[in-house]
Amino acid sequence: MVDKKVSLKRYFKLLGMYARMDLASLTRDGKFMALVIAADLISNVSAISGIFLLAWKFGGIGGMDRFEVLFMLAYGNIVMGFLNMMGGSNALFPSRIIGRGQWEHMFIMPLPYGVQLTVGIFPFTGSSTFLTGVALLIVALCNLDMTFVWWWLGLLVLLLVASMVIVVSLSYLLSSLAFYAPVQCEEISSTVIYSVERAMTFPLSGMPAYVRYPLLAFFPAGLTAWFPTMILLGKTTAFENFYPAVFALFTMFTAAHFFKKGFRYYVKKGINRYVSGGHRS
Amino acid sequence: MLKKGLTDMSQAVIVPEQAAVIADSVSKIFIQWQKREGARSIFRQQKRTVAALEDVSFQIRKGEFVAYAGPNGAGKSTTMKLLSGMLQPTKGRISVLGMSPEKDRIALMKRLGVLFGNRTELWWDHPVIQSFEWKKVVWDIPDPVYKRNLDRVRELLEIDGILNTFARELSLGQRMRADLAMMLLHSPELVLLDEPTLGLDVVAKRQMIEFLKKINREEGVTILVTSHDMDDLEEMARRIMMISKGRLVYDGDFDGLRMLAGNMTNFTVTTDGREPELQGCRLLSGEHGVFEFEADLSCTPVRVLLEMLSQADGIRDVEIRRVPIEQVIARLYQSWKSEESISNIENYTINQ
Repeated sequence: MVDKKVSLKRYFKLLGMYARMDLASLTRDGKFMALVIAADLISNVSAISGIFLLAWKFGGIGGMDRFEVLFMLAYGNIVMGFLNMMGGSNALFPSRIIGRGQWEHMFIMPLPYGVQLTVGIFPFTGSSTFLTGVALLIVALCNLDMTFVWWWLGLLVLLLVASMVIVVSLSYLLSSLAFYAPVQCEEISSTVIYSVERAMTFPLSGMPAYVRYPLLAFFPAGLTAWFPTMILLGKTTAFENFYPAVFALFTMFTAAHFFKKGFRYYVKKGINRYVSGGHRS
Repeated sequence: MLKKGLTDMSQAVIVPEQAAVIADSVSKIFIQWQKREGARSIFRQQKRTVAALEDVSFQIRKGEFVAYAGPNGAGKSTTMKLLSGMLQPTKGRISVLGMSPEKDRIALMKRLGVLFGNRTELWWDHPVIQSFEWKKVVWDIPDPVYKRNLDRVRELLEIDGILNTFARELSLGQRMRADLAMMLLHSPELVLLDEPTLGLDVVAKRQMIEFLKKINREEGVTILVTSHDMDDLEEMARRIMMISKGRLVYDGDFDGLRMLAGNMTNFTVTTDGREPELQGCRLLSGEHGVFEFEADLSCTPVRVLLEMLSQADGIRDVEIRRVPIEQVIARLYQSWKSEESISNIENYTINQ
């Protein structure tokens, strides 16, 4: 019986191999490398500069001061940056894998699907957002009047994980539709991811309840940066502090259920030529 | 006239230990939703069931080289996808190397090689050797096995010159060779090839055929190959399975297939200009004393044919050839098409 589980050693070997391939891509030629780094830097800084400049100009937004806003933007960058770095091979965009017929390549690889989706990392070409986020977080922390306690760092990591789980779960939940209509839903995950990415940068403090609550419950972009920032800055109640983790678990199990259901439908019923809107070959 | 009855369908039963593939009453039904006429079609579509495979049963012995042929849309690729676990059958049982493609996917893929001619497993933006190294890690191929297989494919497929070339820069022939080489790096016991010669030029095709024959003959690799090029298939395989409209319609050797189409033979008669009168033979062409005939040897035995030729006047030369398998298959496809047009095979149901 061949093991269905992949040992940690083999997992890291796979990660290392994808990392080497990514490095090879980046270092293929010097000009290409310089262009990639410069383009990423400009893109990352410009993505958050609008909100930050507004906060700077008006001394904060909605009850958050300018460095609290910077902290929130940095937090969001770390969440999305880490996911982009780890989600190479379209792992963050599963509807693309389905819509483009790439799952057929995955069927013939002797690895569990979960491993295939998580080892395709881009630590060199895809790390700029993450690194920018870390740098901005340090700048924000240096300028915030905060007293650090030992468990704060643990809380930060826990909330980051919860936010990432929420983003990934949303992407997989909506992508499960692609098993039924591959072509029509090919880009549904990118719509979800990019919508979250845009909405997450806006501070929700001071917004009316009818705007804030839906963004914390139905389209939970508020849980991917703003609400965790409030927790980390000590502006929430103890009860509220558990909310992102509980919500992350809920979305994760819901997404897993519907994704598995869609997958079973896909292998049992689907084929590109016959199903209406079947995947592109 | 084509014979409608099928021959040679009763293959000997193979004991499970010797079977590389067992397909037992396999059916694969798809449901299509089609647009109807008029405004109602926005909400109500027509449901159509398509039987891509219907009650297909066959066995392939370990070490066999089997051709799998059929007209477009017959169900060849669906069969390949079912065998490689990309799809699950609606009905029936499939066993590949003693395993279920659905339940034992990971274990099976370590022993199975799959190559679809219309797509590549190579990393597009990396050199070929990088894809090979990737495969080594993903398939967990031990160093000595990888090295031995790499040396072998380098030599047999002559890929030394393209190992450091990016996959996107390869010609189709080079890409197919590289894909084939990569597929063999983990020493698969069974290889499924879907249109591997698609679009290849004569040289590349010859190279691929020779290579496949060699690994089958010398290493006992079981091969199931689909192609539209029947001459290629006849050269490679000893057994051919033919599928039409989702049903297995022939399973046997190539000579048997010729018999099925009427054991036809072609012959050329060169005369002093006169057209020979040969009963039971059909004149295909005739010009400047060279006449091309076709005869059904099951109706007109060779002895009778030679007797007629020896008695005909003005004959200078005779050349008898077997009908190319391509021609035999074309006749069969044509006959199946005619049958199709007569009987309405589609199963339409309206979903209100």
